[in-house]
Amino acid sequence: MNRRALLIFSIVALLVIAVVAIVVVKFQPTQQLQNASTAPIVAPASVGSIAPTFSTPTTQGEFDLATVKRPVLLEVFATWCPHCQYETGVLDRLYTRYGKQIAFIAIPGSTTDITGTGPSSQEDVQGFIDRFGVRYPVAMYDPNLSVAKAYIQGGYPTIAMIDRSKHIVYLKSGQRNYASLAGAVKHLLR
Amino acid sequence: MNIRIAAVTILRIALGVLLVVAGALKVGHALDLAASIASFRLLPPAVVAPLAIALPFVEIFVGLYLAIGLFTRWAAMLAALQFALYGVAVASAVLRGLAPNCGCFGPNDRATADWPHAAFDFALALCATLVAIYAPGSLALDRRISTQ
Repeated sequence: MNRRALLIFSIVALLVIAVVAIVVVKFQPTQQLQNASTAPIVAPASVGSIAPTFSTPTTQGEFDLATVKRPVLLEVFATWCPHCQYETGVLDRLYTRYGKQIAFIAIPGSTTDITGTGPSSQEDVQGFIDRFGVRYPVAMYDPNLSVAKAYIQGGYPTIAMIDRSKHIVYLKSGQRNYASLAGAVKHLLR
Repeated sequence: MNIRIAAVTILRIALGVLLVVAGALKVGHALDLAASIASFRLLPPAVVAPLAIALPFVEIFVGLYLAIGLFTRWAAMLAALQFALYGVAVASAVLRGLAPNCGCFGPNDRATADWPHAAFDFALALCATLVAIYAPGSLALDRRISTQ
């Protein structure tokens, strides 16, 4: 085989790879691949802005941000996320210490279950609660993720702190340790 | 064989093997790759999905050509472009505060965005550029294929 023939073969091979990939995605799309191809959104909520109001049933009764008198610590989590799984311990400690002064609420924020391969559900969220011994209130699973989409900052966990005047005073994505969050909570309670 | 030819040969084969192995590890893990690419928030989902399917095979293809020294200059330029793009993507994620080391961006996300990672990608891009400049080195099919 001479150089020209090899060159033509190489170009054709690369084109075939590209075309096959496009055809597979277009004509045999899987929901999992589409989900994986989309990064979590960054909600327009920001520090200093008024917290998006919402009301949702939780494991400890109805939660309505508009009527809550205490400051709020809100977490958007995903059951499959190991950082969120770690964070349950941190949030439990904070809930034990500050649960009477601050309203806690965790919001399921992903349509993927704890295995990372199937759809999430209330059973999936309850399984997460049981497995990690979560004691703070957790919102019921909403397949539309309407509350989660109002707060999430591009990744899990997203933690927001809302003061008594309903302004967001803390909004970060990523795992935080106890000392870091406790410091922010003390600031919230001032 | 002089030192320069030996160095280019070693770099060429090492880069080729690296790309083949990297590509082979990604084959069959389109979900992981798609989540990693998506987490950098540089490409729309419509591009991410086919890229996640095609990229491993392109890496294997380019890596193979580098390793055997076929169309070395072109393969090395493609490899250099690829590594440079990876480095830019990682650097931009760090600058935008998207470093996912402490958070989750997708159920299959394994991306790591930090400066050492970006520096490594740029170093590989530099190596590939040197191979492209001084191609093909020895033990290369380019030296044997005719121009007919």
